[in-house]
Amino acid sequence: MGSYLLRRILYAGLTFLGITLATFTLIHIVPGDPISFLIGHAGVATIPPATLEAIRHDFHLDEPLPVQYLWWLRGAITLDFGRSIVDRRSVTDRILEKLPRTLQLNAIAVLLAALLGIPIGLWSATRSGRPVERASAVLFFLLYSLPSFWVALLLMEFLSVRLGILPLIGMTSDNYLELDTAGRIADRLRHLVLPVLTLMYAQLAIFARFSKSALTEVIRQDFITTARAKGAGEGAVLWHHALRNALIPLITLFGLTIPYLISGSVIVETIFQWDGIGLLYYDSILSRDYPTVMGLTVATALFTLVASVISDVLYAFADPRVRLGEAAT
Amino acid sequence: MNRPEIWKRYRRSRLATFALFYVAFMTLIALLSPLFPIDPDAIDLRSRLLPPHEGHLLGTDDLGRDVFARMLHGARVSLTVGFFATLISVVIGSFFGAIAGYYGGAADWIVSRIIEVVLCFPFLFLVLGIVALFRPSLYTLMIALGLTTWTNEARYVRAEFLRIREAEFAQAARASGARDARIIFRHLLPNAIAPVLVSASFGVAFAILTESALSFLGLGVPLPTASWGSILSTARENINYAWWLVLFPGLAIFTTVAAFNVIGERVRDALDPRSE
Repeated sequence: MGSYLLRRILYAGLTFLGITLATFTLIHIVPGDPISFLIGHAGVATIPPATLEAIRHDFHLDEPLPVQYLWWLRGAITLDFGRSIVDRRSVTDRILEKLPRTLQLNAIAVLLAALLGIPIGLWSATRSGRPVERASAVLFFLLYSLPSFWVALLLMEFLSVRLGILPLIGMTSDNYLELDTAGRIADRLRHLVLPVLTLMYAQLAIFARFSKSALTEVIRQDFITTARAKGAGEGAVLWHHALRNALIPLITLFGLTIPYLISGSVIVETIFQWDGIGLLYYDSILSRDYPTVMGLTVATALFTLVASVISDVLYAFADPRVRLGEAAT
Repeated sequence: MNRPEIWKRYRRSRLATFALFYVAFMTLIALLSPLFPIDPDAIDLRSRLLPPHEGHLLGTDDLGRDVFARMLHGARVSLTVGFFATLISVVIGSFFGAIAGYYGGAADWIVSRIIEVVLCFPFLFLVLGIVALFRPSLYTLMIALGLTTWTNEARYVRAEFLRIREAEFAQAARASGARDARIIFRHLLPNAIAPVLVSASFGVAFAILTESALSFLGLGVPLPTASWGSILSTARENINYAWWLVLFPGLAIFTTVAAFNVIGERVRDALDPRSE
């Protein structure tokens, strides 16, 4: 276990270097001087050459590229991504301010999707080949192909515009501050419904498909046949033998879905004007706020990296074949 | 399994056969859309936001443009992006996958680390970032999508190469003195094409979905070029009454994406001897 853990963390370190190198390269293959990249050509024209030289020195732009990369790497390690062009605040502070809102939205969506999707997937695996299983497979497939921004529009159209039972956009109503505590909670929950629904249906389909194929895979294996041959009832076979083996791979799914969730947040948060990091990224792209764009890109990649290391380690804990198998190769 | 056999297994699913015809139909529309007599970009402010009627089969948008003409043109944009982005991603993915699978060892290790790095980035961040850093255009979009989605193809090709690199025909090619490049591209790659087809089909679906999402957000194909996503984004401002702006482009994206997904799924099942 120790050596597996060590290797996994070592690889994560390499991946981290790769992430920073990729982002650094991306900044530097864009045509133009980094200063004009940061403040625009018009801004550069107004600065006296001596000041410009001083700025270049301050930002280490007069040093060779590898040295510049090391400076940039130092910033990334200490989570210092500079200041936003929009409001001059530290990029890290801006991200930390908005992150909890995105996490709240995604945590609720993933939890609901898992609670619904996994049982449905497992259930349909035990009905293999029957009409109900085939129908549910097609249904999940179609669910997976639905564009989330269209679903969001349809939900808004029917539930907000036509029926008027849910708020259209935002995280709270205009009169939020006048409400009492119960009213505030209700108001927040009502604003959560549409974004959560939009985020969760694709996740639900993924959970259902993944758990279904995981269980189907396990049921095919010899030890299940053995259990059946020993006379164990079908329920006991599923519950004691198959289920545990089928659910372990789900641990990796949690790590893998994070980048997809963050990607989905850009769309959902923009449509519903949910003030999280997805909307921050979208606004930063529109206002050409490159420090924030780069900071968010590296920060979310790091977040994904940490999550995938954690889920891999948990997986190795749960399934000895992983760590022993790795050691053998 | 030989090819007619796979095709026979494929056709056993009526839904998948229909999906194939649907994709062919959409491709035809995309190819023929410039022949349609109504200009998709012609603005007519006297006929803004008209519901579907004889003159405008699918109504008009907020600038009085004919939605049917814009839908036809949107098919062209979506399928172009879908096919070419996937082509780029298949080329990059096959290259990395082939090298990793054929040489193994250090090459495999390096490719695996590169894939790991790419997978850490939230996909939409990368695409949006690339599109925004460079000038947004149809080409930037296709390149950005291709550069960020090749990891699936690479993994498929790598797995297939690991399986067939010691096959008899590969050994025969080696014994006859063929160079590595020749063995990889002439002998192994054509035999690894089936799984690539599966992931390419999913890839087209994903690229179409992403293009329409970006165009919906106003960061995809630049205006006034019509795309299904940009028609939907005009619906966003007129959601109270212009239902036709919501329904038709959404249905077009959904059905096209679903068709490519169904095809990919079915090809995978048809290739898998364990299924059915």
